Amino acid sequence: MSDWVSYYRSEGAEEEDDEQEEGAEAVVEHKFAGRDSLIFLVDASKAMFESYENEEVFTPFDMTMQCIRNVYTSKIISSDRDLLSVVFYGTEKNKNSADFKRVYVLQELDNPGAKRVLELDKYRGDQGQILFRDTFGHSADYSLGEALWACSNLFSDVRVRMSHKRIMLFTNEDNPHANDSAKAKLARTRAGDLRDTGIILDLMHLKKPGGFDISLFYRDIINIAEDEDLGIQPHESGKLEHLMKKVRAKETKKRALVRLNLYLSKDLSLTVGVYSLLQKAYKPYPVKLYRETNEPIKTKTRMFNGKTGSLLLPSDTKRAQMYGNRQIVLEKEETEELKRFDLPGLVLIGFKPLSVLKQHHYIRPSQFVYPEEALVKGSTTLFNALLMKCLEREVLALCRYTPRRNTPPRFVALVPQEEELDEQKVQIAPPGFHLIFLPYADDKRKVDFTEKVPANREQVDKMKEIIQKLRFKYRTDSFENPVLQQHFRNLEALALDMMEPEQAEDLTMPKAEEMSRRLGNLVEEFKQLVYPPDYDPDRRAVKRKQGDGDGQTEKKPKTEISRDELRSHVQKGTLDSKTHFNMSKKTE
Amino acid sequence: LSWSSIVLCLDVGFAMGNAAPGEESPLEQAKKVMTKFLQRQVFAESKDEVAVVLFGTEGTRNDLASGDQYQNITVHRSLMLPDFDLLEDIQNVIQPGSEQADFLDAIIVCMDLLQKETIGKKYEKRHIELFTDLSSPVSEDQLEIIIANLKKTGILLQFFLPFPVDADDGGGGTSASAHSHVHRNSFARKGITEQQKEGIHVVKKLMHTLDEEGGLEEIYTFRESLERLSMFKKMERRPVAWPCQLTIGSNLSIRIVAYKSVKEKVKKTWTVVDAKTLRKDDVQKETVYCLNDDDETEIQKDDTIQGFRYGSDIVPFSKVDEEQMKYKTEAKCFSVLGFSRSCQIQRQYYMGNQVLKVFAAKDDENAAVAFSALIHALAELKVVAIVRYAFDRRCNPQIGVAFPYIKDAYECLIYVQLPYMEDLRQYMFSSLKNNKKYIPTEDQLSAIDSLIDSMNLVYEDDDGESFEDLFKPSKIPNPHFQRLYQCLQHKAFYPNEPLPPIEPHLLEMLEMPCVVKERCQAPLEKVKALFPLKDVGKKKEDKTAQDIFKDNNEGGPNPKKPKAEDEEGGFSIISIAEGNVTSVSIFLQIFFLSQQLTNRIDQFLENKGSQYYMKGINCIKVFREEAIKLSKVQCFNDFLQALKSKVEDKALADFWEIVMQGMMAIPFFFFFLVYFYKLSMM
Repeated sequence: MSDWVSYYRSEGAEEEDDEQEEGAEAVVEHKFAGRDSLIFLVDASKAMFESYENEEVFTPFDMTMQCIRNVYTSKIISSDRDLLSVVFYGTEKNKNSADFKRVYVLQELDNPGAKRVLELDKYRGDQGQILFRDTFGHSADYSLGEALWACSNLFSDVRVRMSHKRIMLFTNEDNPHANDSAKAKLARTRAGDLRDTGIILDLMHLKKPGGFDISLFYRDIINIAEDEDLGIQPHESGKLEHLMKKVRAKETKKRALVRLNLYLSKDLSLTVGVYSLLQKAYKPYPVKLYRETNEPIKTKTRMFNGKTGSLLLPSDTKRAQMYGNRQIVLEKEETEELKRFDLPGLVLIGFKPLSVLKQHHYIRPSQFVYPEEALVKGSTTLFNALLMKCLEREVLALCRYTPRRNTPPRFVALVPQEEELDEQKVQIAPPGFHLIFLPYADDKRKVDFTEKVPANREQVDKMKEIIQKLRFKYRTDSFENPVLQQHFRNLEALALDMMEPEQAEDLTMPKAEEMSRRLGNLVEEFKQLVYPPDYDPDRRAVKRKQGDGDGQTEKKPKTEISRDELRSHVQKGTLDSKTHFNMSKKTE
Repeated sequence: LSWSSIVLCLDVGFAMGNAAPGEESPLEQAKKVMTKFLQRQVFAESKDEVAVVLFGTEGTRNDLASGDQYQNITVHRSLMLPDFDLLEDIQNVIQPGSEQADFLDAIIVCMDLLQKETIGKKYEKRHIELFTDLSSPVSEDQLEIIIANLKKTGILLQFFLPFPVDADDGGGGTSASAHSHVHRNSFARKGITEQQKEGIHVVKKLMHTLDEEGGLEEIYTFRESLERLSMFKKMERRPVAWPCQLTIGSNLSIRIVAYKSVKEKVKKTWTVVDAKTLRKDDVQKETVYCLNDDDETEIQKDDTIQGFRYGSDIVPFSKVDEEQMKYKTEAKCFSVLGFSRSCQIQRQYYMGNQVLKVFAAKDDENAAVAFSALIHALAELKVVAIVRYAFDRRCNPQIGVAFPYIKDAYECLIYVQLPYMEDLRQYMFSSLKNNKKYIPTEDQLSAIDSLIDSMNLVYEDDDGESFEDLFKPSKIPNPHFQRLYQCLQHKAFYPNEPLPPIEPHLLEMLEMPCVVKERCQAPLEKVKALFPLKDVGKKKEDKTAQDIFKDNNEGGPNPKKPKAEDEEGGFSIISIAEGNVTSVSIFLQIFFLSQQLTNRIDQFLENKGSQYYMKGINCIKVFREEAIKLSKVQCFNDFLQALKSKVEDKALADFWEIVMQGMMAIPFFFFFLVYFYKLSMM
């Protein structure tokens, strides 16, 4: 029991060893980090505030603001060091360092925080639109070039190092300067400047009557990141969900956990990047504050000799384990050295059909492998050839994986994945290999299985009816973490001096009423079939109902009742005696 | 799981010490087998108890000895958990004697010991493992009694001999010949004496009478035992049952029990001990809190409160408030939220670090039937259950998938955690198929085809139903633990020696099977010829100073990580010192740096190669310059001396030469020069 508890209690708080490993990876990931920075550049001219043919509940502006808010709150949870900014153009009022007209910087590039989220919320919905009009006004007489210039200024005003700069442009106007070639030219020039300074400019185009035609203007403006080129532009967004998908795909700069060689043999290798598409989001560690001022404080841990009181340096300590009544001592360096087997890399062992991969051989979240052309030229073509053939032949590549020095190897299955776009041409599955960790013999445990008592056909069929009533389409983003959500809502409430935190709906709880409604009598019918009337699963077992395999079911006299009959019996409440009779027969 | 009681019964009679030139004596071989066996037990932390009985000893110490009965038989160690003292005894204390004793007498002593010392203990099996070369005279008088007693008490007997038993009379029955392939060793049977032949006869008679079918299978040679024991065995854990109820809606529950079935085994953690006293208690830690001002004003722990970041804001949030307001899991649960098509749950989305197997509760046939109905309904509809799972009230709830798993022997649900929305990273990657640059040619594709053919690890058997898999990672013991145990064992006996090299058989296990290796040579050459690969400049040494030094930060007096903007692996010591060490003396700073540098240089030197050498040299140069500036030359000299011995250990004479040249090229002050010369003359 202690085994179970020790793991679970530590979940989310401190997991000793696992946590350290993850921590180590996190270090790798943020190693080169400056901050990611992202400016939301939002068209605020009239058309953005008009619903498209009244079929959407949200105006394009409303959808945009909801998206932005969503990015803010998710950044607060996942990467609160990133910098975000919101800039409107096409406003009556202006506010920006160069005093450009019709450009209003609502929020400079800074970390997302509670007050900024609250400010965004003010401009949502009908009330928000009115407030927006009253506060900023609308004007069609803007220059997109100047808006881009203002963004560029925002980037240069930031003093911390930025690793990744991106502008997301939200608009439903596909030809803003149709009648003003000078403004159009300026916009193109500014867009070119952005490109030259490595700033990515993505178009988040929204639906407009007659369709959004990128070729009219924006084709020359946008600047797609080299590593995100689908060779095709996504469709315009008419729905919030779709816009959200487009934004989410780009809101975080992807970073490789590690770049390493994939060795087909000792002297034949290509380079790949390893990414993690899943990263458990934990409740953040608390910070210590000084009671008087609420300022963060530093903690320092010192090691000292308990007897002499003298300070111990790391070199004054060794590491020990107990086995066979003996303490065995190693140098700290030796504890690292004994983990060293290979240099970092993926070493190909061979290929296996995908079907041999056991579904339940799982030990830790998968990673993703994609070629890295910048280190060894030609990697991508070789990688692509491997990917194409593995897909075609439905095989996986078995590899020995050493992500870092001083990390013992693990075996992994590289499982090919074909690129997949949805109807709106947004990527939902990237091309590459999933890296699936495989267990060693030590990782498998014997379990003490319960003898099976097979259910009969009727019982299985009844359960099938139950299942059919409760089907839904699972999506990976269906469930929010209720613990994290509650935590951040609490913080939000405290940060904003709200009376009470907003209650998050706990999506992990079964929807009992809805389930009961859908199931109707099925549960009772199933229970009649499998449980004796006096059986209460909350208490100890009473006596056996029935448990013969299908073969014997045929011989039973009682199964003469058709299902319809059965149903009517149940409805009339007359089934009890029948099943009871049958049961006593079986238990002889 | 329950434990065994084992007597290791070793012949130390004088003949056991005789060895043919260039070979190990039977005693040495037997000791090796026993050592391997005991080491496995020790590192698996097995609860099996082991006793040692020696026969052929000068003296006599056993309960049955009286008059001239049971002489020269010594109970060396009573039944208890094996430990390193026993291992040391076997290695150093147990030597060949000058006497000899009847192995049948020894068996009787062992039986007596097992009977007496297991009274009141729980055990599953009792074994006697007999190691002998059968050179001593044997009297068959008591054979019948021994057999009857072994049968009656259920004590199992195994023989370990220096030679195979079945070669001398041309095979005695099927079991012996079936066994013979195992004994395909080079042990010459010619050296066998008449006495040994008689011994063999008795052993075979004994074992055959005990068990007509498999008795002879329980006779092993030393060599085959060694091979089998060369792997450390895995630790057996008692499966821990988690009883709960599977619920579907509010009215249907099924009593279940779950077990962890796959979970990454983590090693024991290391204890920090004082380097001099080797005592854990001597190492104590204290944490001090201080303000972030220039003076680092120390404050009391009581004057601190807890807070959390909320984006740019830091929100004070006391532990009490947090506890009060946090999400609360009501109780343990395994609640079905709904059902989805199994293809909607993709394997790459599995989360967490374990797999549960879920069964119906034990001894409840009603539950078993209901559960079976669920399993089969899921399987037939090809759907899975999406489940809310909470281990208990104190634990965070998970969302996971439960899918049916039906085997001949049992059926169960398998549960794995799935991600929450917050755990997903939606990264976008450039298209590979929409980029003409990266589309392989037909030739290239067919080269990959032949590569896949040649490196295929799985063969379909002729019947088309079963497979032969040449490489199963799930059958391989984790090399990390094998290596750890090997090192621990080595250090237990030789605390002051460096770590031994990795055992070749361990490395072999991790390699591609030989047949595949040979087969894929030609296709690999083809791939190599058809796919031009060009190294575009050296792979950037992607290490920052932070990375370089992070190994040493742990547990040090300043957990604060140095800030390092430099990505190239070059660095200035002073900037590190400032970022890293704020409250210790300059002496400590330098001391730290030398530690860090030593390790860093070690790492560079592991990768023999000139660019790493140069990095190492640069480290040394920088250190020297800083040491000179701070007038702490002694530190540098100490460091250099340590380095020299390390370099010698690793046979890196060429590196040392470069160091010397590098040092000569730059003039520096006299004291050091003298010292350095002295050093290089050593």
